[in-house]
This record gives sequence, structure tokens and C-alpha cells, in this order.
Amino acid sequence: MLSRVAERLYWMSRYLERTEDTARIVSAYNHLIMDLPKGAEPGWDIMVQILDAEPYFHQRFRSVNEQNVLKLLVADDGASCSIPYSIEAARENVRTTRDVLPEETWELVNELSLFVREVAPNSVGRRNRHAFLAEVISRCQTINGLMASTLTRDHAYSFIKVGRLLECADMATRMVDVGAGDIMDRDGSTSAFDPLLWGAMLQALSAGSAYRRQVGPLVDRNAVVNFVFLDTAFPRSVKFCMQGIGQELGRLTNHEEPLRAVGRVWRRLNRLTKEDMTQAELHAFIDDFQQQLNQLHAAIEEAWFRVASA
Amino acid sequence: MEESWKTYRSEGFFDESMTPRGNPRAAANQAIKFLHSLAPDELASRRVAAELAIKEMGISFTVYTEGGNIDRAWPFDFIPRIITSREWSQLSLGLLQRMRALNCFIDDIYNEQKILADGIVPAEIVLDSNNYLEPCAGVKPAFGVWAHVCGSDIVRDHKGQFFVLEDNLRVPSGVSYMIENREITKRVLPELFENYSILPLDDYPLKLYQTLAALSPRARRRPNIVVLTPGIYNAAYFEHAYLAHGMGAELVEGSDLFVGEDDCVFMRSVDGPTRVDVIYRRINEDFMDPEAFREDSVVGVPGLIRSWKAGRVAIANAPGAGVADDKVIYAFVPDMIQYYLKEKPLVKNVPTYLCMREKDRDYVLSNLDKLVVKPANESGGYGIMVGPHSTKETHKKFARLIEKNPRNYIAQPTLSLSTAPTYVDGSIQPRHLDLRPFILQSKDSWVTPGGLTRVALQKGSLVVNSSQGGGSKDTWIVEGDA
Repeated sequence: MLSRVAERLYWMSRYLERTEDTARIVSAYNHLIMDLPKGAEPGWDIMVQILDAEPYFHQRFRSVNEQNVLKLLVADDGASCSIPYSIEAARENVRTTRDVLPEETWELVNELSLFVREVAPNSVGRRNRHAFLAEVISRCQTINGLMASTLTRDHAYSFIKVGRLLECADMATRMVDVGAGDIMDRDGSTSAFDPLLWGAMLQALSAGSAYRRQVGPLVDRNAVVNFVFLDTAFPRSVKFCMQGIGQELGRLTNHEEPLRAVGRVWRRLNRLTKEDMTQAELHAFIDDFQQQLNQLHAAIEEAWFRVASA
Repeated sequence: MEESWKTYRSEGFFDESMTPRGNPRAAANQAIKFLHSLAPDELASRRVAAELAIKEMGISFTVYTEGGNIDRAWPFDFIPRIITSREWSQLSLGLLQRMRALNCFIDDIYNEQKILADGIVPAEIVLDSNNYLEPCAGVKPAFGVWAHVCGSDIVRDHKGQFFVLEDNLRVPSGVSYMIENREITKRVLPELFENYSILPLDDYPLKLYQTLAALSPRARRRPNIVVLTPGIYNAAYFEHAYLAHGMGAELVEGSDLFVGEDDCVFMRSVDGPTRVDVIYRRINEDFMDPEAFREDSVVGVPGLIRSWKAGRVAIANAPGAGVADDKVIYAFVPDMIQYYLKEKPLVKNVPTYLCMREKDRDYVLSNLDKLVVKPANESGGYGIMVGPHSTKETHKKFARLIEKNPRNYIAQPTLSLSTAPTYVDGSIQPRHLDLRPFILQSKDSWVTPGGLTRVALQKGSLVVNSSQGGGSKDTWIVEGDA
């Protein structure tokens, strides 16, 4: 497979995952605010923080409020975490690789992009928001399902899977970092709502029901952090993602460096003990972990996307 | 029943499906009878079905406009054009003969230049042409073949006789549309296929694969073949992807390839550099290699020509093949057939006046209102003047152009192009058409059974180019006589 094609498939998959993840975060937060009394909800900017879009947001908007944050995430096509931007980027990458994908892939991605372009501007307000987000999530899942059930297990599949898992792991760690920080920073007066907040976070990771079955209905920080990072059966846990990435990369030639990077991530995961970490320690851990993920991405890029003229 | 069949007449032209009295010709009889039996709303619904099929199958082409590029749905008329296999076999032999002679010519020009020495073709029109590429001199491609894929434009006159209008030897396009047209017809008029045996078309990608594989410099069971495209913004990108997909070959852009120190061509793949054996290039030759030709080319591969000359990679069509794709050279093809093959041409050329010849030029300048004037070196129907349909102003403009640069212009009589029944504005009307069959040659040679029929959808118009509002039809070669 051509490096250029592999790279586009990888990014197509990352952006598709990002589209779904952003939709999930907004959707979960949307539920949360209706359950909390005024003043007890996290600030709107928490989503901007999770999605790492602060500089862009402040360039574009003056004040942090519901309208502006939703505008950014749902309808702005300039922020690389927004739904319109992500799906458009996914579409551009499929457009030039459609011949290695199942035939309906292009059609579905194209239709989703047309849908977002048409409906997103009217979905910023609370009234249409939910239906729009639900539709985006469901269509992303259709596309992933199509690829999972019909794509030949060759190079194309490997790069698509790696892209999706890496994006998923990246998003999960960022969400825990910002989410846990916000919850732990709150003063005691609102701690009655903590379970709701943790629940919303699990929902945003679509980990709600899996967590309840695996761990039980009680939610607290350590249990959530452990579940999201280390559960071996939940397919969106960081550990599960890293396992999948390691497997796929091992099937490709020239995998030495990228596998070493996976190993480094893996060792850090195992260092995450079940004992109590302070919030500062958790933050430092995730910060370092994110850097390791970035290095893994760089190693993949170097090994397969930048084939030099020998 | 649609009434317009009753009054259908193609006055003064040869109609391929109907006789001058308005009866179906023998080969078209079954099809016309069936179409005749359809009520007007039924005909309209077939048209809608065709449009839907085109949209679903994603058949599109790109049109360049001032406002950017637009992907347009492929314009298609669902009434097939029917040609008998007897008429066809004669034409296809003529096309193979022509292709052989053209390849002898190109090989001769870049090597011995016998035809110039013998004075059959004037040396200056070949060697002074922009299409003659100095760096290609002395190269001996496999089987002496330079043009491996040729798309020849064929027209029929008022008697139904076939003529070659031009030979496209650089990067002829349209073959994917030819195949897709058949697929659309199968969906839209499935009933018609019951009573006809029609020569199938869909093995073209296989034949192309065999033609290209035979060129591989390495003996391998499955040589590495790539289709080189300028990218997604090219008008024919759909076709590039279609052919790559059909051959199971990689669709590459210039930046995916590089030439190594051993002069071999490699593609950048996830398994590391992978050697390429054959390049089916769909970019113009002057953009292929910034080292050899245009330095400003960003879609080419530096060193590609070096590799090709060293015999490390095969390129189809070979760089330099365009030397025979020139409307002035075209006029000499019948002479080439005599000279190289010692045969009589089986298909005729359209009579052609070369403005570089004083006698011809005088005739052209005093008969501009009767002639079609064409620049020697344009494609896509650009820069053409159809005398009888042009104003006095345009005649004057072309007279100036010709006098300024006579080598660059030829003229031909305005042909009475044949017509076929076409569904326009809810009724059946005669429209002019041409035909582009594709000829392949390397170790073996082959002609597509039929070709891409293009039809001028405007009443009376002779311009069939899709970039200028032309449409297309499925083309059937059927058993039986006319």
C-alpha cells in the first residue's frame, strides 16, 4: 500500500472518531446541565479545555457561554475539534482513497458531511441539538460498522484501526484529565452532585453501562480512572486501545520503532497503581502519558508515511 | 406510444437506426420496436432511471470553470446506438492497421528517420514540432511500440461510410465511460438485452492489464503496474481511479514515486520502497519529469525519463508518442500505411488541407465559410472554427491566425455527420454523433468492440465534447447485417 494512501486512511479514521467523540462529549454535557441546579454545573469552557481548543476559542469569541461553546463545537468549520471540521477532513481523506475501501464508505461519509453542513447551523440551540448529535453518532457508527464487517484485513484495515484507537485513547485521557480536575476542584458544598458528574463523564466515553456491569453503580474517581485506563475488556479503555494498536502494528513491516513507542506507553499504564493519587499526581501522569501518545504518532508517521527516497 | 417516432426523419444525413423513409434499419428493428411500444411517460421514467443510476454509481466528470472545478453528472442518452458486427469488423481491422503504422512511424522518427529521408513526410513538420521530444531519440521501447493506448475519433458521412477524424495518442480518455454506459443501459433497458447478442465491453481493464504487463522489464508473474494521475482535480480522475481499481493496480501521484540511485522507479509504500515495473501515465508528457521537460512541473517524477531510457521501467504511452498526435501528421497516415506496411488503408482519412502548403492555404482562405478549421495541436474541441456556423468576424479572425502561423492550422470539409435517435425534451429526435474506439498494442493488439459514442445534444450541432455540452450513448456491436 502507498504511504500516501495509508496516511490518508489513518487520518480519515482519526477524524471520524473525533467527530463521534466530540458529538458524545457535547451530548453528555447537554444531559448533565439539565440535572444540575444553576451554579453547580461545570463551566461551559470545560469542553473547550477537553478538546484542546482554547486558543482558537478565544480568538474567535469574547465570552465563554453556552451559545459560543456550542457554536464552536457544533457549527464552526475552522476548529480542528469541531464536528463540521472533523467530518469534512474525514471526507477529504476518503475522497482520495475510496478505491481501497468498501464501496459504500464514500457514499456514507459524503452523506454525513452533507448532513452536517446542512443541519449543524440550526443545531446550536437546545431544541435541535440532541437530535443532531444522536444522528451524527449513529452515522459514524454505521460507517465504522461497515468497515468492521466488510473491509479485508489488510494494510488498509490496520491503518484505519490504529487511527481510530489512537484517537480514542487520546480523547479518553484528555477527558479524565480535565473532568477529574474539575470535579476535584469543586468546593464541598456541591459534592452531592459528584456522582452525576462522574456519570456524565462515563457517558461521554460511552462507558456508562460497561462500568456499571464491571464495577457497579458506585462511581468515584479512582474507580473511574482505573476503569477508563486499565480495564482489559472494555473496547474504549486506554489499555484495550493500546493492545489493539500493538497487534496491528506488529503485522506491518518496519514496526520496530513504533512498537517500542507502544511499549513505553504500556509500561506507563502499568505504573498507574490503584492506590490513591493526588490530583496533581494524576495530572502529571496524564500529561506525560499524552506526550508518549504523541511520540507514538510521530513514530508511526516516521515508519510508514515518510518513506524517504533511498 | 410516443408520437415523435412517426415523424422522425434525419433529412440530408445518414441515420444509423432509421431509413430515410422513417422505418427502423434491420439491426435496430427490435430495439426501435420496443422503444416505440413505450408510452411517453414510460420513456420519461426510463430517462429518470438513467439519471438516478448515474448518480448512484457516482459517474462524474470535472469541468473547469472560472468559479473553480465542478463535478458534473455524466450526460447520457439511454437510446443505444446500434452497429452491425459486419460493419464493425471491417473498421476494427482498419484501426489495428493504423495503429501499427503509427507506431512504426514514431519508432522510425526517434531512430533511423527513414520516412523523412525518403521524403514521404517533410522533415521540418516533424522535427520542428513541439511534439518531437529530443530526449527520446535513440530509445527502443519493447516491441517497437510507443503508443500502447490510442483513442481514435471516428465519424460516418452522409452515406454511412466510416472516416478517422483524429488519432489521440497521448492520454486518450473516455474508456471508463464507455464501460459505465453499458452498465447504465443494463439497468435502464434490461428488456432489450433479451433479443440481442451484443459484444461485451467490460473486459477492457483486463486487456489493458495484459497490454501493460507485457511491457515489464522484469519477468514476473505479476509485475507492479501503477496508474500515474495528476490528482483529484484532473478532469479524468474518475477514470484513473476506475482503471486502477479494475486492474488491481496502485493509483499513484508523482510524489508517491521516486527514482533510486540504480535508476529504478520506486513507490513509497508502507512496506518501504517498492519497485515499479510499468507506469500507465495519465499525465501529459511535458509534465512527467522536471529533469527532462518542464522544470516547473509539480506532478512529475524527477529522473523518470532517465529510468525509462535505461530500460528500468516501461511507460505507456511512451514519452514522445505525441509526435504522431498532430493534425498535420494525421494527413500523412495513409502514406505511412503504404510506406511501412505495404498495405492499402482500410479506413479513410477525412480529406485534409494543410495551410502550410501554399495551394491548400489559398483554397482554405477563400472557402472559410465551407470548411472546419482546426489548430494542429489542441484537443477537447477547443480553438475550432466550424465555417458554416460562424460569423464573418470569426472567419476574419481565423484568416489572420492562419496567415500568421500556417503550420498550426488544417482545414477539412464540413462533414454531414451521421445521426441516431436521441431522447430530447420528451421526444425522439435525430442528433449527430461520433465514436471513439480504443486500440491497445504491445505484444498483441486489440480493439474495443464499439467505443464511446458522443452525441451533440443541441439540434444541428456538431460539437460532441462533454466539456462543451455533449452527451453520450451506449454503443452496441450486434450480430447481423445492416
